[in-house]
Amino acid sequence: MSGYDRRAFLRGALATGIAGTVAAGTPGVVAPRDAASPGAPAAFPAAFHGPHQAGVLEPPARRTAVAAFDVVAGKRDELRDLLRALTDRARALTSGGPPPDPGITAPPADSGILGPDVPPGALRVTLGVGASLFDDRYGLAGRKPSGLTAMPTFPNDDLDPHWCHGDLSLQLSADDDDTVLHALRDIARHTRGAMQLRWRMNGFSSPPRPAGTQRNLMGFKDGIANPDTADAAEMDRLVWVRGETPETAWTTGGSYAVIRLIRMRVEFWDRVSLSEQEQMFGRAKDTGAPLDGLREQDVPRYELDPEGAVIPLTSHIRRANPRTPQADGSRILRRGYNYDRGTDAVGDLDVGLVFTCYQRDVRRQFETVQHRLEDEPLVDYITPFGGGYFFVLPGVRDAADSYARFMQV
Amino acid sequence: MGARRADVTTGAVRLPVVPAVVRSVVPAVVLVAVLLATGCAGPSDARAGASPRPAAPSAPAGTSAPIQVSTSHCGEGWIRPRAGDQTLSLSNTGNVPAEAYIVGVPDGAVHAELEELAPGVTRTLRVSLGAGTYAVRCLADGSDPVDGPRVRITGTATGAGPAVVPVTDNDLYAPAKKYAAYVTRGLKTLAKRTATLRDAVDRGDLAAARAAWLPAHLAYERLGAAYGTFGDLGDAIDGRPAGLPGGVRDKDFTGFHRLEHGLWHGESATSLRGPADRLDRDVRALRRDFPDERLDPADLPLRAHEIMEDALEFELTGRADEGSGTTLATVSANLEGTREAVDVLRPLLRSRYPDLPEADRLLARVRDQVEAQRHGDRWTSVADLDRRAREALNGSVGELLERLAPIAVVGFPRRTS
Repeated sequence: MSGYDRRAFLRGALATGIAGTVAAGTPGVVAPRDAASPGAPAAFPAAFHGPHQAGVLEPPARRTAVAAFDVVAGKRDELRDLLRALTDRARALTSGGPPPDPGITAPPADSGILGPDVPPGALRVTLGVGASLFDDRYGLAGRKPSGLTAMPTFPNDDLDPHWCHGDLSLQLSADDDDTVLHALRDIARHTRGAMQLRWRMNGFSSPPRPAGTQRNLMGFKDGIANPDTADAAEMDRLVWVRGETPETAWTTGGSYAVIRLIRMRVEFWDRVSLSEQEQMFGRAKDTGAPLDGLREQDVPRYELDPEGAVIPLTSHIRRANPRTPQADGSRILRRGYNYDRGTDAVGDLDVGLVFTCYQRDVRRQFETVQHRLEDEPLVDYITPFGGGYFFVLPGVRDAADSYARFMQV
Repeated sequence: MGARRADVTTGAVRLPVVPAVVRSVVPAVVLVAVLLATGCAGPSDARAGASPRPAAPSAPAGTSAPIQVSTSHCGEGWIRPRAGDQTLSLSNTGNVPAEAYIVGVPDGAVHAELEELAPGVTRTLRVSLGAGTYAVRCLADGSDPVDGPRVRITGTATGAGPAVVPVTDNDLYAPAKKYAAYVTRGLKTLAKRTATLRDAVDRGDLAAARAAWLPAHLAYERLGAAYGTFGDLGDAIDGRPAGLPGGVRDKDFTGFHRLEHGLWHGESATSLRGPADRLDRDVRALRRDFPDERLDPADLPLRAHEIMEDALEFELTGRADEGSGTTLATVSANLEGTREAVDVLRPLLRSRYPDLPEADRLLARVRDQVEAQRHGDRWTSVADLDRRAREALNGSVGELLERLAPIAVVGFPRRTS
């Protein structure tokens, strides 16, 4: 008699797809993932193997879960097994297929919430590592990406330690909530005892209302002026890391992720006049156009408005991106999701933004932008309370590769 | 500890989450094929008069032709056995509900099972088979099991799915007896320590009562695996205020946690005398009744993970804490009960559960992690655990539960004769 060996996950015996058969994509063949039309996530085939992980360049999926885990594995070998198990599950879940049947030897191998034959559901799995993973526990100090630190506290923050940092970040994005939750349950089950959930926030993206960039929960279009993800040179300049030293050569193809959990005081916001709201953002609420323009994609012409008579100097868009040559290199790729997690102690809605941005250099990009935004008028209506800095690992190249590569090279 | 409130009203043992049980309460609606016109249906078949009976069972689309399940035609129709992951179609051509197993020959390992297949119904059964010899075993209600014709899958095909030789009621008899002896010994300790606790309250020595509370409570928590058999007494002795309209002031809030709440919230000895006397009476009643309580052998494999499921839900979250901050001590006692359940089952599991050493390793790891929070007779409260230690403990318990859960499935008693 053969037992269904559930320990197998950490040894990679289930490394071959949910169905137990190799269902992975052809090595070296990478489906295009670049964004062209926002709001069409299903158009992106979930190719798991490639130089970069999925979930960075694509426009936001309809649903996401952003989670941070702490590694509780005891030794370096166990961390490596964990990262391989994560790879196996990510590969299997993005491929889909019927889960193995343990017969009468174990409870069902799968939660079954997606039915007996797991559909890939355009799932994207994006794994990052936090600075704390490179402490003295696993002997990885020398491998830390040079720009990776713990997220500092910024002047307008009100951080809750329970919602900050983590050894690993895991973002699961898909068309539907059940696909996201299925993946999270599966991954947590298969890595039980090796990593422990630290915090998690579910998010959703909104469809165009009525067109163009999605609106945030303040009613403003958010993310209009993102870099062009179809421009590979621009992505190499702004998003993808190239390891410059032998120690960090492995970082090539990865990206620094900044995750900020930002509560919005929407009741207060709704009591603010339209013109005041628009002055704070610098954009028209209805069209998304800059206050000196007509259309969403119009470029503000600050040089014609040096005193900020039309678009205030303190407005969000002007502080965030002053459109000067010097500021060009500080641009970031934003991938925000709205969140809704119930109600607070005074009966207001606990909603806001899971702000996520990707960049080559957190200091040069996110932190530069963040410092420019310090004490902007909008800070009275938003409260960053959690998140962290992570390094999104390079893509898993092929069936033989795994997220653990950075530990070995 | 976490005996569920639902148990108070029904006195029922917590419903085990085992496919066999689940399937038996869910109507077989999966794939109702055309009913049969063979001579198999006797007058006792309730459907006989209601439906016309076509000539032969037909298979649902995408599956093999149906294989018969009945005492007289068991396994007939398995015409083209093949290796690999496949979905068989089984049709009950008898006139009473029946179970069917796909068994290996001659080892008797069950590769797949179909529970309670109603007469005239065809259902699918997924199974992975490799090269070897197999048979359908038909277990019609009220009849001895019958094995169908042997089928041989030739070649070098591997990839047979997991299979295990079933555990029977008979197999569980000796382990259950051993476990009952463990409980009997534990009840003696419990009764003694509870009397000490009651005496301290009676003489108004609340410091002594606080000191006596934990040893008595742990004596109860060590019994863990048997709490389902304690019925209403179990809740009277160790219930939580959850589900009681008056919460901690509800008259039905009794037992260890009632005393804990009073002892750690400045209640007077006078007002605690009633609850202490009641606890002592209930414990003595439990001890007196236990020899008559049937320790259902079928419960034992479930307890392997259910004790620690409750520990995770009520103790490691701190929810069961009424002020003493000793839920980690409770976890330690629950681990002992779990270990006892695993130990008495060990002779059955050794050949059936390859992850048993892993479960043992994790039991030891959790024990070490919990013991690290013990300082003499004081324990760190879960709220005071530093984050890393708490995550590591929760992670270990979670992994332990994953390794213990298959014991409930493997050890679930099945008929073989």
